[in-house]
Order: sequence, then C-alpha cells, then structure tokens
Amino acid sequence: METAEAIFGRRSVRVFQDKSIEKEKLEALGKAAVWAPTGGNSQPWKFVFVTDPDTIHLIKTLSPGLLGEPAAIAAVFSRRKYNADKMGPIGETLALMDCCMASQNIMLRAWDLGIGSCAVRSFNQKAVQEIIKAPEDCTPELLITLGYPGDSPNPPPRDESVVEWV
Amino acid sequence: MWNGFDVMEAKNFEQGILDCIAYMLTSARGLIDEPRIYGPFRLADGVSRLCALLAENGHKDKEFLENLQKKIDEKKYSVMTDQEAFVSLLDDVIIDITHMLMKKSNN
Repeated sequence: METAEAIFGRRSVRVFQDKSIEKEKLEALGKAAVWAPTGGNSQPWKFVFVTDPDTIHLIKTLSPGLLGEPAAIAAVFSRRKYNADKMGPIGETLALMDCCMASQNIMLRAWDLGIGSCAVRSFNQKAVQEIIKAPEDCTPELLITLGYPGDSPNPPPRDESVVEWV
Repeated sequence: MWNGFDVMEAKNFEQGILDCIAYMLTSARGLIDEPRIYGPFRLADGVSRLCALLAENGHKDKEFLENLQKKIDEKKYSVMTDQEAFVSLLDDVIIDITHMLMKKSNN
C-alpha cells in the first residue's frame, strides 16, 4: 500500500469482525510504533498489546470511549518524568508528542495490514494503569483498539483551508 | 428470580450491572474534562447497554428494549459528524419510550 493510500484511507473503526489478529501483525505494529521520531531520540514510551479477551473486556468496562469489540488493544504509555529528567522541562510535553507520532504509526501500519483501529482517550487512566500493572512512571495516554473492520465508515469532512502559505 | 425480572442467568446479569456501574462512574469522571457533547452520547450509549442487559436477561419488554437498542446503536455515532441527526435520534427514542410508558399506565 502506498503511504498516501494509508493516510487518506484510514478510518476510525468502531465495528470489528469477530476474528483475532495474527501475532506477527501485532508485532509489526509494535515495530512501527518504535520507529516513530522522538525528540533527542529519547524514546519516552512503552507499548502494551492486550489480546487476552478477559483483560480487553475489563479495560472496555472502564473505558467509556472504547466502543465495539476489538480483537486487541495497543496501550500507549508515555514516560514523562523520565523524559523531563533527560530533556529538561519541555520533556513532558515532548513525551506526549512522541507518543502521538507513534500512535499514528501504529494506526497507519494497521490500515496497511488490513486492520482497523480507533484511538481512544476516553478511558480512566488510573484504572488502566492498575489493570495493565504498568510501572509507576508510565502514564497511559491512548488506547488504540484494533480489529478487522466490520464496517467502512464514511470520513467526516476535513477543513483544508487551515493550510496556509507564507 | 430478580424482583421484576425473569433473570435467566443471574450471574451474567449481576456482572452486567457491575459493568454498567463502572461505565457510569468512569464516564462521570471523564466527562469533567471532555467535550460537552460527549455527555449526551454517554447517556445514550448507556441506555443502549442497559437495554441489551435487560433484554438478554428476560425483561418482559424484551422486544421494545431490543428495538430501542438497535435504533440507538444505528445512529449514535452521528454525534461525531451530524449533531442534528443525533438530536433527532434522541427526540425519536424519547417519543418511543413515552408511548411505551403511556401504554403501560393505561393497562
């Protein structure tokens, strides 16, 4: 798939097929994530792929914005304190930005592999941290639901007038 | 037998209630920081979940609840792209529940 095809073809998918995702595909998503750029190459993140159905259900129960029945969830964690120690006061903001770029990599690579995704921020961070038992310095920033698409949503309109030239 | 319901699988029902409680609590916390329109969406989505739970567990108005859930689920995502359609959905299902309640009060 061409890069442009992935960028313009990707949709936020909230209806999934009842079909698991092959492990090698999930590994490819992990690889795509860690190849995103980071400020000072600090890589202030952690990615946890959840495939256990009971854990997915538990996370879903505590995540009002997590809709549909995904086959897997990629949990994207920032390491803000680590990054602030390494990069100075701006490190916390940079960690968040780096996680966003990694998340986009995951979603584009997923689309490339025929997998639908949806980035979810409406979840309870403390509950997810507790469930995944992430280290204390890792903050869950985004949950990316993953699964083979069960529908093909129409894209909402984009305002291209915000792009200007000087 | 749950008071008012013919509970076929009490364990699933009880788990479903706990899931609903978790959904409501995490929604309440999340909505403090989230966009205003997410509030109506969460409530509508919550109704859908409740309808599913009750219908699956032998509520007497199973057919009505299933239809209500279907109606909400079909159009609830319009909240992201077409708020008029979402408002129209809410108005529509409110009339449905009103008619249902009127029918019950006349019986």
